[in-house]
Amino acid sequence: MEVTFWGVRGSIPSPGPATVRYGGNTSCVSVRLDDGEIIMIDCGTGARNFGISLLAGVFGKGSGSATVLLSHAHWDHIQGFPFFGPFYVPGNRFTIVGGSRSSELLERVLERQMAAQFFPVQSYRNMGAQLEMRAVSEDREVRVGAAKITAHPNPHGPTQVLAYRIEADGQTLVYASDVGYHKSGPSQETVDIYHGADLLIHDCTFTPEDHAQRIARGLSSLDDAVDAAVKAQVKRLALFHYDQDYSDHDVDELVRRGRRQLDERGARHITILGAAEGLTLTL
Amino acid sequence: MRVRFWGVRGSLPVPGASTERYGGNTSCVEITSAAGTRIIIDGGTGIRRLGKELMRAEFESGKGQAHILISHTHWDHIQGLPFFAPFYREGNRLFVYARQRDDQNLRSVFASQADAPFFPVSFDSTRASVAFRELHDGVKFEIEDMLVSTTRLNHPHIATAYAVAADGARVAYIADTAPFSDILFGQEFLSGPSSSRSHLSRTDKAKLKAMAQAVVRLCEGADLVIYDTMYTADEYRQFPHFGHSRPSDAITVCGEAGAKTLALFHHAPDRSDAEVDAMLAGARGHAGPLCKHLEIVAAFEGLDFTLGKV
Repeated sequence: MEVTFWGVRGSIPSPGPATVRYGGNTSCVSVRLDDGEIIMIDCGTGARNFGISLLAGVFGKGSGSATVLLSHAHWDHIQGFPFFGPFYVPGNRFTIVGGSRSSELLERVLERQMAAQFFPVQSYRNMGAQLEMRAVSEDREVRVGAAKITAHPNPHGPTQVLAYRIEADGQTLVYASDVGYHKSGPSQETVDIYHGADLLIHDCTFTPEDHAQRIARGLSSLDDAVDAAVKAQVKRLALFHYDQDYSDHDVDELVRRGRRQLDERGARHITILGAAEGLTLTL
Repeated sequence: MRVRFWGVRGSLPVPGASTERYGGNTSCVEITSAAGTRIIIDGGTGIRRLGKELMRAEFESGKGQAHILISHTHWDHIQGLPFFAPFYREGNRLFVYARQRDDQNLRSVFASQADAPFFPVSFDSTRASVAFRELHDGVKFEIEDMLVSTTRLNHPHIATAYAVAADGARVAYIADTAPFSDILFGQEFLSGPSSSRSHLSRTDKAKLKAMAQAVVRLCEGADLVIYDTMYTADEYRQFPHFGHSRPSDAITVCGEAGAKTLALFHHAPDRSDAEVDAMLAGARGHAGPLCKHLEIVAAFEGLDFTLGKV
């Protein structure tokens, strides 16, 4: 299983010299399974570059297929959707999985972004590829080739967000962005979903100090990410979804603090890293 | 009058090393008069940093006032607005202007951007006072000491060009627009480059001609013309149906209007810094023999002009 980060930022893309190393694009992660299956998790502006890389292969010829998992529909997780090149090549097939109450609702949400007043293509049906919408509220388990995918609702301020656990090739990847745990920390169900992951990609929007000022946003601090990783006994933790104002230097500092906290909690065996655009991890 | 660029990119923001010099934020330009009147044209992601800057002064204490002119509501011209900090401070007064539409009320277009499930903070909960003003094509109006003129552009769903005059200087903002030669844009979806000049009816040709003349009038004697030059000649041949111009189109307008400086603007997302440099060199080469006195620059984040009286 190969995991690549295309966008690691939260809220809004933040171009500029201060974010060049970790990257300023909003959330997008790709997963390539050993059997060649492709899964894209979230569709922030990072999806544009992922799309460009896919067009060099079968997706450029209209014979590609992939699954897109959406955690939720806040802009920073869907704003790359209209700019994902493979959607414009007839013949390509995609299944879009998201947490709406019904597939029709999911379709309507994505369609609103494409509407004429906002985007010239006017409808995803004008894009060319075949897109099938699939809501996962009732059906929390999805099969993609040999992969078993479980969707789990986490709290995100007044709303919910889906975390995804992907088990394939004898490895487990968990993606948990935009989560604001209750004061008591992650629920037992949440810990179970993360449990034993070879890689946990976890929301780390804020330092603990900034987080204290912005609890209502429903996002995680470094403390939350470390706590979830320790409780779920994961092997590797990737910090993700950094605040738009954090410079590369600030993210370096988050990773250093995270390392110290893990050590202090006796979790020296957990590896920690800061997710960065272009980074590929082979599990 | 002072003109400052906060976002110069088209389509979507493009962070990364290859866009570091010109900048990756989407469209936003700030114009302030010597008397302190503030106009902001477009609310792409560049407006976020402008908002942060404004919060260092009177907007922080809720005493700020700004006028936001929107060329059109495609994402790259409005996606920064929910992140414009002055909206969230009580007492600030913000005025938003855009073209009147038959099908939609302006406020509802902006409000829907901040609706669930897309954004956590609803537009109704912004604390500043926000007033919307819908504009008819060609209208002229005053904002304090600044005179604003408008004209319709040739772009899918239709965009508005603005000229702002104050302190004895004039700046025009022409984005987004296609040239006025091949396609007449309206509301309908165009799937490919199939519509060409040969398909244009006589009425459409006349409409385009009138539109081009009005744009030239808007730019007449301008100290600075900011123009959508997203495409190279090759790209335009491939994508005429997306509604963007080439540097040569901007040079033609500036030449006819006798404008002093042209800023290439709304750079394509995949245009690297080196490619913008090359486009600028090409544009200067093209303009040289045609209009000797036209100065050409490629807009970058942080570019600043002082025009007329300060």
